[in-house]
Amino acid sequence: MPATDYQGSFLGRISIRRNQVMSMEGNHEQELEDLELFQKHVADRFAELAPPSPSQPSDDIPSDPILSIAWIRKLLDVFLCCDAEFKAILIMGRDPSQISKPPLDRLIPEMLDRDVKALDICNAITNGIEAVRHYQKLAEIAVSALEQRPFGDGQVKRARKALTSLITAMACEDKDGANYTRTWSFGRRGAAAAGNNKSTGQLRSLSWSVSKNWSAAKQIHAMSANLVAPRGTEASGLALPVYIMSTILLFVMWTMVATIPCQERSGLATHFPVPKQLVWAQSIIGLHEKIAEEWKKKEKKGSAGLLEEMQKLDKLGQSLIEFTDSFQFPAEDERAEEVSAHLAELGETCRRMEEGLVPLQVQIREVFHRIVRSRAEFLDVLDLNGKSSALAM
Amino acid sequence: MEPPENYVLEGSFESAEKIILRWDSTASEEAREKMIFEVKVNFAIQIAMARLEDEFRNILLAHIHAFDVDSLATDPSSSSCSRTESGGDHFDDDDEDRQQLGQEQEKDHLDSTTSSTTYDVLKHSESNTSVSSSYRSTSCIREIELIPEETIEDLKNIAERMIAAGYLRECTQVYGSVRKSAIDSSFKRLGVEKLSIGDIQRLEWDALETKIRRWIRAAKVCVRILFASEKRLCEQIFDGVGTAIDDACFMETVKGPAIQLFNFAEAISISRRSPEKLFKILDLHDALVELMPDIEIVFDSKSSDLIRVQAAEILSRLAEAARGILSEFENAVLKEPSKVPVPGGTIHPLTRYVMNYISLISDYKQTLIELIMSKPSTGSRYSGDPSTPDMDFAELEGKTPLALHLIWVIVILQFNLDGKSKHYKDASLVHLFMMNNVHYIVQKVKSSPELREMIGDDYLRKMTGKFRQAATNYQRATWVKVLYCLRDEGLHVSGGFSSGVSKSALRERFKSFNAMFEEVHRTQATWLIPDSQLREELRISISEKLIPAYRSFLGRFRSHIESSKHPENYIKYSVEDLETSVLDFFEGYPVSQHLRRRSQ
Repeated sequence: MPATDYQGSFLGRISIRRNQVMSMEGNHEQELEDLELFQKHVADRFAELAPPSPSQPSDDIPSDPILSIAWIRKLLDVFLCCDAEFKAILIMGRDPSQISKPPLDRLIPEMLDRDVKALDICNAITNGIEAVRHYQKLAEIAVSALEQRPFGDGQVKRARKALTSLITAMACEDKDGANYTRTWSFGRRGAAAAGNNKSTGQLRSLSWSVSKNWSAAKQIHAMSANLVAPRGTEASGLALPVYIMSTILLFVMWTMVATIPCQERSGLATHFPVPKQLVWAQSIIGLHEKIAEEWKKKEKKGSAGLLEEMQKLDKLGQSLIEFTDSFQFPAEDERAEEVSAHLAELGETCRRMEEGLVPLQVQIREVFHRIVRSRAEFLDVLDLNGKSSALAM
Repeated sequence: MEPPENYVLEGSFESAEKIILRWDSTASEEAREKMIFEVKVNFAIQIAMARLEDEFRNILLAHIHAFDVDSLATDPSSSSCSRTESGGDHFDDDDEDRQQLGQEQEKDHLDSTTSSTTYDVLKHSESNTSVSSSYRSTSCIREIELIPEETIEDLKNIAERMIAAGYLRECTQVYGSVRKSAIDSSFKRLGVEKLSIGDIQRLEWDALETKIRRWIRAAKVCVRILFASEKRLCEQIFDGVGTAIDDACFMETVKGPAIQLFNFAEAISISRRSPEKLFKILDLHDALVELMPDIEIVFDSKSSDLIRVQAAEILSRLAEAARGILSEFENAVLKEPSKVPVPGGTIHPLTRYVMNYISLISDYKQTLIELIMSKPSTGSRYSGDPSTPDMDFAELEGKTPLALHLIWVIVILQFNLDGKSKHYKDASLVHLFMMNNVHYIVQKVKSSPELREMIGDDYLRKMTGKFRQAATNYQRATWVKVLYCLRDEGLHVSGGFSSGVSKSALRERFKSFNAMFEEVHRTQATWLIPDSQLREELRISISEKLIPAYRSFLGRFRSHIESSKHPENYIKYSVEDLETSVLDFFEGYPVSQHLRRRSQ
């Protein structure tokens, strides 16, 4: 604080007052600093998630491909860090009555409403991971079947059956929980295959754990409905971190919905309601654009989701099916080598899924808990400030 | 390759044979034959396995019928419990107890002169206790036969062969997907819904209470019967085939449904807190506590950690919710803002509500004593208020935190009522109101042994003293000035023309007395003391002061009035008149109605 000179009583009085104002502004300055830091941290953390651009020299440490299990886990870690910082700014050491002042009196309840939707999405995603595990197991059948050398008819047929189920399941996943896939869908892999399962068709191994009219796309849409960047004086107050955290939450949930199977994603918004000029949001916007592009491509064909491992399963699965379709004993050497390479990759992908999916579920649970806790803390503060909860006398 | 059904097996082997022989002419005869043999075997195996897989699936599908919920109402002795029945039936009984309690609330309701919605919140109207009795047999784990034994033998044989041939994954996949749909249909029959957290936040609490009740019943069936039976089925089919395969199959089948089941309880545990939710949340908490040992038995493997952990988390959240609601409740009682004074100074709806609420709390004493672990927070939490009641915890040593909370609630109730009493314009009514309400509190505490034991007789005595003091204050506020009219001083004069009594002063006295008494009579007849004993006592107390004073006054001074003109203007009441009039006091309706009654 600047030194003040006492120059006579009048000026002395002004100095005292300035000191007082400065000490209040000091707090305000601290707050502005915290907000600046928060924005910087957000920007940095998401920048680390961005895929390396082709122009950059590749680091020694290979980064996880975007939308892989490992990358999603990193994304969730980023979310947890941001949330912790957000709570520190908004709740810790702060007079609770500030949370009830406009515009927070409107913004916080809206945020809490988003939290509830996010919780439902977390549950849906946790459930959807079971579907992913199902794909993994089908792929593992193919891998173990084709491990034997030389390739034999029996195992090749076995692999083909599993791969066909895999590809079909992933393509039909988004439909609601019908118990039977129709046999015509097998026809897409060649009419010959239809004969195999003509009796009953494959049972879906997963019916959604949400009610028939729950829609992931609608949840996301509702979360973004009233998300508006604060303007003017509001932009330098507490409305800003609330907006930032809400944006992060929306992005994380949207990404998970696009990545992992869950009910009713048709019409998933691909527009991100964040003004492009916001500095802290650049990385997020970049990521969003990339993912949205991928989503648009895949949505037309029908897709279980953008999870990188699932994409691999799809790609490798299809090429392996081609192999099995055209297989005649014995396999030619180059073909066998190519197939072995694909198989190795498939096996590696399955291994990553085996290692990563359950921990991912655990981590999503952690995110769930964190959101519950944050919401509870804000509700406590609101209840403390607000009118008493009416006694239903 | 063409589907195998289209040509004879032999033919395909021949072609393969030819190709092998052509392909590697350098290999030894033996090696080639071995290879051919292997190819044949693998091919045959694959076809056999595909057939077995279909057979496996078909058998399972044939026994997929939904779990027969109604069959549970059968004689429990026909099944075996894997645990001795502990207090398991407690909860089915409790449903009926709660209904009784609801009826007790009814009695109070009839006393109330206020709005009819008073007790809706606390009524535990159990409209279908008959349903609860049909689930009496869910008090312990009881596996039932989902698939007949002979069929299980077949399934077991198929599974063994598939697994021995390396087709474990296919086998467990088929098993999992069929059994999962069986569980799905059972869930539907049991009324296990797929509600999202958002849905639950939006529902009215009444509707949720019903769902919670249904969930508790369904959860017992799911854990103790449904899941336990699935586990046994897995053990029977996959027993002895490799390590922990039966366990993996079981988890594959049951993980999703189990999580779906618990999601409901979880959603309730994180819903917004408000006082009326307390008791159902405690019900849910208690049901889960009772189920936990069985959850741990059924989900005892490493891979089912997620489920056990979730159940434990839900339990702790429910406990937290209960604590939070109690705080909310205390806060709400303190801040309850209604300013409209209750007509006639009778019992305030807040008093009834709070006392009923804490009576119910004392019913849940067993659970709450464990959950409530810290003393009520006084002081800083309420620092925003101009003044807050205090409570000296020192003199309440040795009381459980729950008891302290209950006493605290009574303290803040009285504090709030005190504030409300100030809205009465008539000072006497202020005191009457407090007397009525504190007396009601004392009565309610006395009427519940658990509550009384927790509040303690010391504090009870304190409150008794308080309402007696209020009665005294009332009497002072009303009757001092009335009786002042009947005092002796100032009526006697000496000297002048007449020694003795000043007739004009005496006439004034009679006039004032009459006016005041009429006013008091007219007003306070409309006041109400609901408790008949208290009403009597106060009237007697008034009479004891009023009647002798008036009788003596009349006795000494009537002759002076009667010797002047129009004595009837001054001596309006006989002693009997006063006695009768006192009976009108605190009845709660206007005097005109009394007069009408008397003239009939």
